[in-house]
Amino acid sequence: MTSINIRAVAKTYGNFPVLKGLDLDIADGEFVSFLGPSGCGKSTLLFCIAGLEDITSGSILMDGRDISELDPRDRNIALVFQDYALYPHMKVKDNMAFALRQQKVAEATIQQQVAWASELLGLEQFLERMPAELSGGQRQRVAVGRAIVRNPAALLMDEPLSNLDAALRVRMRTEIKRLQRELKITVIFVTHDQEEAMVLSDRIAVMHGGVLQQFDEPMTVYRQPANRFVASFIGSPQMNFLPGSMVGGHGGGRLVGIRPHDLSPADGAGGESVRLEGELALIEPAGPVTFLDVLIGDTIVKATTTDPSAFRPGQRLTLEAPARMICLFDEATGARV
Amino acid sequence: MSLSLASSDTAKPGRRRRIGRTPAFAYAAVAPTLLIVCAVVGIPLAYSVYLSLNSTNPITKKWIFVGLNNYVTVLTSPDLWWAIARTAYFAGFAVVGTTILGTILALVLNQRFPGRGLLRSVVLVPWAMAPVSVGVLWSFVFAGNYGTLNALLTDLGLASWATPWLGNGFRALNLVALTHVWNQAPLTALMVLAGLQSMPGNLHKAAMLDGAGPVARFFKITLPWLKPNLLFISIIATINALMAFDILWIMTRGGPGSATTVFAWLGYVYSFQFFKFGEGAAMLYVLTILSFLLAIFYFVVLGPRRVRAAEDRPLPSSSLEGTLKRRAMAIIPPLPRRWHLPRHVARPLGKTLFFLLAVVIFIWSALPVLSLVLMSISPAGDLIRTPPSIVPSTLTFDNFRAVLMPQVGTGGSSVQAQRVPYSLLNSFLVGAAVSLICVVLGTFAGYAFARYEKLRFFKYSLWALLLTRMTPALTLVLPFFIMFRTVNLIDTRTALIISYCSFLLPLSAWMMKSYIEGVPKSLDRAALIDGCSRFKMMWTILIPVVRPGIIAALIFCFLASWNEFLMALILTSTPNSQTIPVVLSGFLSQAQFYEYGPMFAASVLSILPPVLIAFVFQRYLVQGALSGAVKG
Repeated sequence: MTSINIRAVAKTYGNFPVLKGLDLDIADGEFVSFLGPSGCGKSTLLFCIAGLEDITSGSILMDGRDISELDPRDRNIALVFQDYALYPHMKVKDNMAFALRQQKVAEATIQQQVAWASELLGLEQFLERMPAELSGGQRQRVAVGRAIVRNPAALLMDEPLSNLDAALRVRMRTEIKRLQRELKITVIFVTHDQEEAMVLSDRIAVMHGGVLQQFDEPMTVYRQPANRFVASFIGSPQMNFLPGSMVGGHGGGRLVGIRPHDLSPADGAGGESVRLEGELALIEPAGPVTFLDVLIGDTIVKATTTDPSAFRPGQRLTLEAPARMICLFDEATGARV
Repeated sequence: MSLSLASSDTAKPGRRRRIGRTPAFAYAAVAPTLLIVCAVVGIPLAYSVYLSLNSTNPITKKWIFVGLNNYVTVLTSPDLWWAIARTAYFAGFAVVGTTILGTILALVLNQRFPGRGLLRSVVLVPWAMAPVSVGVLWSFVFAGNYGTLNALLTDLGLASWATPWLGNGFRALNLVALTHVWNQAPLTALMVLAGLQSMPGNLHKAAMLDGAGPVARFFKITLPWLKPNLLFISIIATINALMAFDILWIMTRGGPGSATTVFAWLGYVYSFQFFKFGEGAAMLYVLTILSFLLAIFYFVVLGPRRVRAAEDRPLPSSSLEGTLKRRAMAIIPPLPRRWHLPRHVARPLGKTLFFLLAVVIFIWSALPVLSLVLMSISPAGDLIRTPPSIVPSTLTFDNFRAVLMPQVGTGGSSVQAQRVPYSLLNSFLVGAAVSLICVVLGTFAGYAFARYEKLRFFKYSLWALLLTRMTPALTLVLPFFIMFRTVNLIDTRTALIISYCSFLLPLSAWMMKSYIEGVPKSLDRAALIDGCSRFKMMWTILIPVVRPGIIAALIFCFLASWNEFLMALILTSTPNSQTIPVVLSGFLSQAQFYEYGPMFAASVLSILPPVLIAFVFQRYLVQGALSGAVKG
């Protein structure tokens, strides 16, 4: 039962503003990701919520109560660090019990709780080990276990998967999602990996330069990006941007954004669509789809096809995209119109 | 026919060079270091065993083999057991004192605050100073009639508290131990600081979120993290305390009575005042064995502990994936509301307390040194005023003139004062030569030790080098004295350079090994593939990369050589080779009050290079401490 409200939070280091007045309302039990390129302030905001960094102005509310003045230990917030920060001199079970011992919880309760969390995460066989004796994935799980064992009001995660290899990363993110569903806990998850954010989150807060760009459900962020930054940051490969003059019907001062996955060689099927013509420069097979780099004027536009067999580099090609999939941006402000 | 990159005359046809064989270069790189250490540590040690089995008569120069009789005499003498008891007390005081004080210093210096660089340098000054200068300074602070402490008390109107501080036996032992702590605590601080800096910052953040306050975090997180460092540090501190000699020589010479006659002092007295070489050697051998036992204790307790390797088996699936019935969650009581000061009060309060602590540390480190400077620019007559005062009647550079320009001085320059300029030159020449030799050889040896540590030959010779760290200089100096006399090297700078290699060569090899270990092996390999010979690879790639380490090693060697007293005291006798600490000590044995002024001026000159180094190269000193084998 924890909602978190961030009200006009600003943070400066010396004269350098890191957070420029953010407002964000996170509902109870919600899984929210802070997404953005490095240096956008997402980790700083997370540390401010945890109380590890002071905010310069604004306030942070938990369940309506202002916690900005509280010490980290009085906030009942758990954090999973990017490097896990397991206490190197303590066994796994002592790492997990540490917070409860600090709160002077009865030892029997601690044991029960450690047993519960280690069973939940499949850590029973590691309880007697030291952190140095664990693999990366095991350490990551211990870090999660240490965080949930004390039943925190909110669970904060600072790029917890970035030190794992690709296969394990995919598996662990599913596990984190299941865990959150199971515990119905409020989670804030910081990442620079847009796919991770899309898969995991109820809502994504996209940040850039210390400013919140958009805060919405994953598919809304993907389909209706608030501005050019969000449009280009979300989605891989990046969205194509073309001057309005090149794409029929849209005048100057506008940018047309088309995602590569929406743009494919014209097959003459009906429906309202936008058409582009150019020369095929490069074919990049990527498994389920193949990307086509098409030179239109002097811009390269990426398109996709599921059947690349008919195409040869150098040939001329007509591409089309359904008109409803197209985003229009103001060329000057970058905002979507 | 195999394709060989080696020049054709070494690769005989049909015999392939085995890949992965230890190159001859590695052996060549350690050879000079090992041979020299054998010569300047091994031979003297063996010689002192021989000495300890003989009885010598200094007048007739007759040697009689007496077997273990010397040991029996020494070990049954009550003097020795009293000395052991005093040594134990002194060492206990020193270890506890330096560890606690050094940890506090390191905790403060690890914080970020304006002026941290300055405070770090200031804190290092008492350690960078020669122990002889430390002794001169503190013996005058504690001196009976005119001492600075008594003068300060008189100035404050507390003349009745004034007392000859070193007059009472037990108090003298405590005060000498305190002086030792003042001198040695910065070394501990450096090594603790190195441990603190290697600590991942997120550990403390995690503990904060886990509800641990500053005190709990210190005891539950910081202290366990520092545990290996602290154990090592206390071993170093114990050995340094066992070998403490210089400040005793200056401050109390074992007295009053025999109240400060510790083990090292007793060995010195037997050997060089009673000239009972055999018994002296036996006594010093007991000290050496004691140090070695400590060293073995160190290896046993702190040797690399085996960590079970992380198994590479796949992660077990968590029960989240199944639908099995699960254990229930415990009910955790809600977080108790803690009483705490509001942040806007707690922050400035904390800052003020921290600032006060920083000021106290500054005063503790700098004030005694500043008082030495003040004494050096006060007229000599001020030092024996009645009633004493710390306020000088006037400021003058006469004292400096007396020691720097003895010929044009005011006519009162004594013989001792005239020796100062030349002794500074001697100190500089010896320091420069020995640090250059040791660092050049140590770098090559360090390379071989760093890269081939797993091979038995290198592993054991590295241990042997480390053991020399535990050999008291007193044990070596007696054989040195006799050996240099026989080859007519006594009282030369060469003798000093040779004998200083005994402790500086292992030190520099160990430091360079630690630095080179930090350089990825792939760099060596890249250079070798790019066609360098091993020597060229060292010269063009490795040495530029480890330059900060080389500078740190040079600084440590130069400081240790500049400050060395015992060997110089025994091995030199004329201005031809006397170094500044020896000349300083000479002032004290003449004990004329009008000599005090020039003596303080000479002391200030003697601490000038170390202090400058502490200020200019503070960063390198902190780095150097990381290598963990710092000479006290």
